Amino acid sequence: MHISEGILSGGTLIAGWAGSVAGISYGLKHTDPEKIVRTAFTSSVFFLASLVNVRIGPSSTHLTLLAPMGIILGDAVFPAVFVALLLQAVLFHFGGLVVLGANTFAMAFPALMTHVIFGRAICESSGKFRTMTLSFMAGTFTVMAGACIAGTFLGMTDKNFLGAVKLLLIAHVPLAVIEGVVTAFLVIWLKRVMPESLQ
Amino acid sequence: MMRVKYVIGLAFAGLIFLCGEAFAHGTGYRHSALKAVALEFMYSTGEAMSYREARVFSPNDDKFAWQSGRTDERGRFAFVPNAAGMWRVIVRDEEGHQCEASILISGEGLEVSGGEAESSIPNGMELFIRALLGVSVIFNIAMIIRRKNAH
Repeated sequence: MHISEGILSGGTLIAGWAGSVAGISYGLKHTDPEKIVRTAFTSSVFFLASLVNVRIGPSSTHLTLLAPMGIILGDAVFPAVFVALLLQAVLFHFGGLVVLGANTFAMAFPALMTHVIFGRAICESSGKFRTMTLSFMAGTFTVMAGACIAGTFLGMTDKNFLGAVKLLLIAHVPLAVIEGVVTAFLVIWLKRVMPESLQ
Repeated sequence: MMRVKYVIGLAFAGLIFLCGEAFAHGTGYRHSALKAVALEFMYSTGEAMSYREARVFSPNDDKFAWQSGRTDERGRFAFVPNAAGMWRVIVRDEEGHQCEASILISGEGLEVSGGEAESSIPNGMELFIRALLGVSVIFNIAMIIRRKNAH
């Protein structure tokens, strides 16, 4: 899901940075100091998840775990994603520093939206099937929304706007299903072992 | 009268012969002794960048591609440089991934003499150390923020 350096136009890069700076500022203001260790832990998991390869037929991709991140962190998801992506760019050469703003927005905004749309429903759901269904939907939604935003950034640079969005959405369907399944099992596990992390 | 007909006939035949020469270029091939620069492009997952758009930029022109084409099934692309200097090969897909290789070609014999022999995707122990460093940095940032809030 990382957009590489040298692809986006200047205007798109500025738009990405503007969105990310706004999100990071909002996140830092509203992050509960008591939850900083939890934020660091979740950011580390996201940072490391990019190293886990998932084979899908002849191709392969890597996990993002953005949906669990959004559900657990809420407002703090922007700073957490930003730090993890910064370190991924510096240490693993994923994405890049100039495109960091666009990548942060494309990944953190869907996670924040997931928190807003599904967060409360997942936390308050009681039945196992209902929780898993909601979590699966959250995981799928996050990946597809991220692909949609990344596609929009690429489309803003390329003339073939709809083509770029369509291509990214199709390419991310298998990852969305995998992330949905992983999110479903992860949320069930968290509800049983660490229910306070979802509050 | 017969002579005029012969002249017209010969002129027409000559015209057809000339047109044939002008339009029907023949083709052929021969083995080239020139040394090509061959590169392999892959994603961080190790998967080959198969059939992706590839562009080669010569040291003399940074804006317009000197050669363009596509990688093969295994993500390989080759070109034959015609001048000394730093050559750039950019391979990209439609999903926002791009890989750029810089190849230094020497003046004598136009052979590879430098540049990045391979991209810097870490693996093995180096990857493990970098991952550990990243997690350490994240927790250190968190501890700094926590201490600031406590004061």
